[in-house]
Amino acid sequence: MTDPAPGREAFEAEVIPQLDSLYRLALRLTTDPSRAEDLVQDTVLKAFRSWQRFQPGTNIRSWLFTILRNTFINDYRRRQREPIPMDLETAEPHATFRAVDDEDPEGSFFAQIVDAKVLEAIDRLPEDFREVLVLSDIENLSYAEIADVLGIPVGTVKSRLFRARRQLQEVLYDHAVEMGYIRPRARAPLEK
Amino acid sequence: MPGGPNCREALSLLQDYMKQEITPELATKITDHLQKCRPCFDHLRFETSFLEMLERKAKGQCCPDRLRDRILSQLRSELDGSSDS
Repeated sequence: MTDPAPGREAFEAEVIPQLDSLYRLALRLTTDPSRAEDLVQDTVLKAFRSWQRFQPGTNIRSWLFTILRNTFINDYRRRQREPIPMDLETAEPHATFRAVDDEDPEGSFFAQIVDAKVLEAIDRLPEDFREVLVLSDIENLSYAEIADVLGIPVGTVKSRLFRARRQLQEVLYDHAVEMGYIRPRARAPLEK
Repeated sequence: MPGGPNCREALSLLQDYMKQEITPELATKITDHLQKCRPCFDHLRFETSFLEMLERKAKGQCCPDRLRDRILSQLRSELDGSSDS
């Protein structure tokens, strides 16, 4: 029987370049830098010990993200900050854009928001939505890859991503108004 | 949509279009629509600006050097402990 993985030295070559991505996902899941470090370390160790099971040529990032997420769920998950309640039945799917399209249709106000505020807003999304957003919009995984990592249908990935983005935009818009980066405007009435 | 998408259809496909997860034929139709329709094009710019901001700010965070060192030394000690490598 041949070794499915191309030698153990290859492990470092494949996995070490992914540490930034693993750390970012761990940060968003744990919302705690010290726990994120432990989670990444545990993930890499588990990956190393099951390296023989990795199929060369398949997606190393999806494989590592899956191990990280399973490790998080089994060993790290705990009660987190109360998430912002998601409005799951948003009648107006583009409320934020409609609120700014007269004054700032390019959404340039987003760039004025400090990094920490954006990260905090991501971390307050409900976990199911947050993980989809991070895998898609920060780590650039495809719908199919995300569905594979999370074990959910592609359709669910798409709808969670849509809602997560809308929710995040609303929170950041409210913050931008509060900080005076953009003038408030009454949300446009819903289209009939 | 044989005659090309209307605004509602174009916007409903915008997420898939931006993720490049639609067929090339459909992508061409959306592109045609976006080139002709200013409100939908503004929508695209708004979403693009949001996503660029998100990625830029989140990617400012990297694996700390001390963690990288810790992991490397742990891997080396695992290797030393195994006889098959």
